[in-house]
Amino acid sequence: MLLEARGIVKTFGSFHAVDGADLTLAENELIGLIGPNGAGKSTFFNCLAGEARPTLGKIRFRGADVTALSSAAHAGLGLARTFQVPIVFEGMSVRENVMVGAFLRHPARRRAEEKADEVLEFTGLAAQADMLATALGTAGRKRLGIARALATEPILLLLDEALAGLTSAEMEGAIALVERIHARGITLVVVEHIMEVIHRLTRRVLVFNQGRVIAEGTPAEVTHIPAVIEAYLGRRAQGSPESRAP
Amino acid sequence: MRASLRRVLIAIAILLAIAPVLTQDAFYQRIAALVVLAAISASAWNVIGGYAGQVSFGHSVYFGIGGYAALLAFTKLGLPPIAGAPLGILASFVLSAIVGLPSFRLRGHYFSMATIAIAALAGLLVTNWGYAGGAIGLMGPATPRSPADLLFRSPLPYYAIFLVVLAILLVLTWWMERSRMGFYLRAIGSGERAAASLGVPIRRYKLYALFISGAFTALAGSLYAVMIGFIDPDSGFGILVSVNMVVMAALGGAGTLFGPLVGAIILVPLEETTNALLGGGGTGAAYVAYGVIIMLIARFSPGGLAQFLPRIAARKSPRAA
Amino acid sequence: MILLQLAADGLLLGAVYALFSSGLTLIWGMMNVINFAHGDFVMLAMYVAFFAFTLLKIGPIFFVPLAAMALFGLGVLVYVALVRHVMRGPMLAQILSTFGLALFLRYAALWAFSANFVSLPDNLVGGVYQLGGIRLSASHLLAGGTALVLTLGMHLVLTRTDLGSRMLAVSEDRVAASLVGIRAERMQALAWGLGAAATGVAGGLIVLFFYVSPEVGNAFTLLAFVTVCLGGFGSVPGALIAGLLIGVIESFSAYWLGPATKDVVVFALFVVLLWVRPQGLLGRA
Repeated sequence: MLLEARGIVKTFGSFHAVDGADLTLAENELIGLIGPNGAGKSTFFNCLAGEARPTLGKIRFRGADVTALSSAAHAGLGLARTFQVPIVFEGMSVRENVMVGAFLRHPARRRAEEKADEVLEFTGLAAQADMLATALGTAGRKRLGIARALATEPILLLLDEALAGLTSAEMEGAIALVERIHARGITLVVVEHIMEVIHRLTRRVLVFNQGRVIAEGTPAEVTHIPAVIEAYLGRRAQGSPESRAP
Repeated sequence: MRASLRRVLIAIAILLAIAPVLTQDAFYQRIAALVVLAAISASAWNVIGGYAGQVSFGHSVYFGIGGYAALLAFTKLGLPPIAGAPLGILASFVLSAIVGLPSFRLRGHYFSMATIAIAALAGLLVTNWGYAGGAIGLMGPATPRSPADLLFRSPLPYYAIFLVVLAILLVLTWWMERSRMGFYLRAIGSGERAAASLGVPIRRYKLYALFISGAFTALAGSLYAVMIGFIDPDSGFGILVSVNMVVMAALGGAGTLFGPLVGAIILVPLEETTNALLGGGGTGAAYVAYGVIIMLIARFSPGGLAQFLPRIAARKSPRAA
Repeated sequence: MILLQLAADGLLLGAVYALFSSGLTLIWGMMNVINFAHGDFVMLAMYVAFFAFTLLKIGPIFFVPLAAMALFGLGVLVYVALVRHVMRGPMLAQILSTFGLALFLRYAALWAFSANFVSLPDNLVGGVYQLGGIRLSASHLLAGGTALVLTLGMHLVLTRTDLGSRMLAVSEDRVAASLVGIRAERMQALAWGLGAAATGVAGGLIVLFFYVSPEVGNAFTLLAFVTVCLGGFGSVPGALIAGLLIGVIESFSAYWLGPATKDVVVFALFVVLLWVRPQGLLGRA
């Protein structure tokens, strides 16, 4: 087992953002995490990445307890993540942005640079390497976020809505990139809204609602589970799901 | 691009080296020495405030520690003032550890607020510390007892000493900028969350930056005390001491190697000449202008003057290195 | 008895601290921007009141509202001309902008009014009341009472009125608020106006019993920081309780340590507080 999260609870005051969620991941799996807005996916995700410490529960990564470790320590162990809204490092070129990630395993500048160039080639950003990162558009920034995370040479990569807000052409490119990352032997967890993407990329999905995993199975299976349909339609009917996000 | 950058820098270096010799006027020589001294403390501020993006309004505390260490070494131990400099640096490390460890949990505005409070607190404590001269301050030696007192009639020797220290600091910063530490600091400055996700140990690197920044600011304070031969709570711990560092670094370009030096070259002569022309009231006028400059930078050009250079400051292509 | 006297003095002064601090906390709560010039706003209001009295010969009933209006205008101007543009920029620009403003105001005042301390005549609001052995001067009572009422009033406006709920909506989610037709920019300008008006009233009240000089602003800025930090960033009731507490702490430390070092205790408290509970003593994580 690569990653094992048991009984994760995360509360903010009296609000239970995550209310007892479990996840097990085998080496080189590619799983999806879906659910309506405010279902607790992001908070669960933050717990896995070490950004939020679960109120209750345990997370083991390659057998070691990582529940209380910092986000930087997670990266050191090979557990990397991207952000839904990508934060690029201002005043740095695309290559320099990626080098920040590469320095984790390669303290010497020259080696970090080589690693960054290799990742830029792999992610299709080589042509923009010398541009200021802030000059990239949404698709470019998301790709840069993935490139930076890859430069830390992760075993497990958590992608937070890496495809949201892209045009259909950009989305094709991004799906192909995720598949290539998977083909490299990296385990992936993708949080997505777009069911089509989930259908094409994953063979196993977890459906979140109200802080719990309410269904698990293949994308085709879960979309026919009544609880899932209700979770999606029910919440949409209530309107303004944004307001519940912590 | 790289070659032209080098040419500009060499020109600045030569200018700095010969500027005071060109003029026989001690007034201008003194200004030149003060430019370099201000460039040292502004460049030191730049390590934490510019590169790491932790805006300190309390760096006067380090400057004051250095200044008081020098003149305490003289008045209490009878040593040459410069012998106090290592003690000042040592004290700066202790302060960085005390201040840095807890306060680096604070980000952005919180850190800046904390530094203002710490500086105000330090100023109050020193003013009420009779042993260190209280509100009156401390004097240096009136006549040189030995060459080690570094008491010269001409500003030129001071200019030379300051230039050596500045060169050391800039080379250190240049090396840092190109190494992992420089990348990490800049990443921390523009997004701590993203930096942490890439394995950057945020607090450790901020602390490194504060150690370097504080030590050189303390050294600048010692050098100031050696040259001026006097330090009091205002000239050591006053908020304007911090303001000078911030405005010079921000004007030239916070987070760039030569930004603080450029800021010092522009602002110190302005301040000194307005002081000379307007007398005591001139200080107020200079700081009104500083306030306006800071607002204009914030509003129109957060990168300082370096933002207007054709990308040379921002774009040091690693390929060409 | 002396303890009661100190506590009473502290509470009355603390109410004024609470008033200008709630201005700071309102601005912070609305847009996560710290006004480093907040104490200098108070200083400016004190000068407005002082000159209104000496030049226009008008009393507190007129000069306090005048100072409030003047500062309201300044607050809106600062938002429109400066803060609005740096808010979403780099952190450096956000922090530098109001810090530059503080420098500008402080040294422009120094230039215009000189460094001399000036004050209003002691007997402007004269009289001392005896209350069970405690002596309360009329000027302190007027200042403390007015400040208390206005701070509570600000809290009620923010929580009980339509305007308040629109401001709250902007502070919680700017984009969502715009979607339902709230003009976020206008609400934020209003927050700066009200936040600055609070310093206007506070300055007009403090000047009744406190000297003015261009450099008093720094201490007020720090007092506002510690009050907001203690009360929780963004909370007006928190600022009220914290302001009263700070007033009492200051009053006691001035008595025990001497007036010159009274601020040591308050500033040290602030530093310790920032270290151990950056979210504020009464605030939530």
